[in-house]
Amino acid sequence: MSSSPQPTWPDQHKACLALAFDLDGPTGDAMLNGSIWHKPEYFGFGGYGPYRALPRILDLLDEFRIPTTFFVPAWVVENWPKQCQAIVERGHEVAYHGYKHESFYALTLEQQKDVMKKSREVFWKHLNIRAEGFRTPSGDWRAETPAMLVEAGVTYSSSMRGDDRPYLVNVPGFETPLVEIPGRWEMDDYASLAYTRAPDFPSGLDRTASYELTLDNWCREYDGAMNEGLCLTTLFHPKITGKPGRILLLEKLFEHMRQRDDVWFATCRDVAQWWLKEHHHG
Amino acid sequence: MADSTFWPKGYRCAVVLTVDYNDIHGILTQAPEVAGRDKTLSVWRYGTQRGVDRLLGLFEELSVRSSWFVPGIVAEENPEHIRAIQAGGHEIACAGYRHQHYDTLDLQQQSAEIARGCEALKALTGQRPTGFRIPAGNGAPGFIEALRDQGICWSSSWRGDDLPFAHPTAHDVIELPLHYELEDEPYFAFNLSPAVPPAQSRIASYSHTLGNLQMDFAGFHRFGLCYVLRLHPEIIATPGRIGVLRELLQSIQQHDDVWIATGADVAQWWAESAPPVAEDHPASVYERHYRDYLL
Repeated sequence: MSSSPQPTWPDQHKACLALAFDLDGPTGDAMLNGSIWHKPEYFGFGGYGPYRALPRILDLLDEFRIPTTFFVPAWVVENWPKQCQAIVERGHEVAYHGYKHESFYALTLEQQKDVMKKSREVFWKHLNIRAEGFRTPSGDWRAETPAMLVEAGVTYSSSMRGDDRPYLVNVPGFETPLVEIPGRWEMDDYASLAYTRAPDFPSGLDRTASYELTLDNWCREYDGAMNEGLCLTTLFHPKITGKPGRILLLEKLFEHMRQRDDVWFATCRDVAQWWLKEHHHG
Repeated sequence: MADSTFWPKGYRCAVVLTVDYNDIHGILTQAPEVAGRDKTLSVWRYGTQRGVDRLLGLFEELSVRSSWFVPGIVAEENPEHIRAIQAGGHEIACAGYRHQHYDTLDLQQQSAEIARGCEALKALTGQRPTGFRIPAGNGAPGFIEALRDQGICWSSSWRGDDLPFAHPTAHDVIELPLHYELEDEPYFAFNLSPAVPPAQSRIASYSHTLGNLQMDFAGFHRFGLCYVLRLHPEIIATPGRIGVLRELLQSIQQHDDVWIATGADVAQWWAESAPPVAEDHPASVYERHYRDYLL
């Protein structure tokens, strides 16, 4: 049951859209278990994201003036530094998403710390930034993860699914809570459009959804969340929605989103800062 | 707006119609247990029985040329079909001799497949093929060089780009990359038992699939890319679905700046006109890394 009052947003905006992409590239399970090095086809499927899709997405975001957060595994930054620098140069946010898209649930606390340390070094070296946000790659995290994140300089996470408003997570031993900006599977392009063989996704090789109906779904989620004054973020992937045909789908979605003038378009970092200021009175 | 101006004068983008003609050999690789099960095999035999003719008829009606990937054994078992494809002005390219999963073969076995497949096709057509597609799985390290050494100058097995690219390890082999969203199989392939697809998914909506393929084309056209359609005679060439393909191709043909060409023609143009593959191209990045992990 909802206990908090209606969220408020800066400058009398009614609701908030925090557009976000996970720029995974070829990282993930197949890289973590090494099988990708026998599969140049699958490597290419992932590499398409930073190499081809990202530059076109950045052009589209310029056109619609949508500040966006990119959660990027540091391995992708190391291998496509020029493309990732463009994210920062064009006014968007880069945030943590593991080194090779590790599942933090499967790592010991020490391993989690090592991933964060490595990512921090790579981000500083190639992008000259200190990231503030984190989205947990494929799957869950462990009970000790929030404290580990705060210790690593993270101020917000966008990892959970159980709400449609940001909320504060108190972390024992730290005065300032961690802000959580939850996502929803409905707004994950993998759920509608991703398809690969060997490794099979979806696991039963189920059909790829209609673009037209997918757009309708996303527009309805946006309309509903904005009408209720909430915060909607997305889990889009350049290698999925940044393909030539799906860029046109994003274009239609952004056109729809921009029809409203009562929505605050913000990066996850700005949402987190706002939420902390409004709701944490330490 | 287009990313590139790489295409022949007057053309904004390229379209390559490719057909994988595997008869029953594709499903025998995918599900070996179907050997001897005539009803199941007939689902895939439909391509030879009905699909190839219907597909050739549509291509003739629309005056388009296409590229057919054929395993040598399929050509040997269906020589009249090969002659009909050739007579229609289409390109015959190689998919090895047997339809095999290449992840289960070493480089030497893969090379032997290329050689035997090309020989079998040459014996029937009089011409050694210049294009190759791996029927399933991936080539071992050295595979692209093996293609080059056997006279193959274009390949269509990788992903990672929406323009052709010269392979970093053998610049004279041009890749025409694939896209799952441009394949008929993910939308339409179906069998009850063994279940294809494994999830026993419903067959996709024809009209929405057409909508997807047209939207994909609109994107490839806008950005000036290479739209590589991947079809199977037993899947796309039913009486109902051939109409989906007709509508798609007719909508593509309404543009006068689309170059519909065979894989060999597009690859030759690319080899003569395009810049070398970039250092940060996914194929180059793969090439820099994989040796560190394959022990």
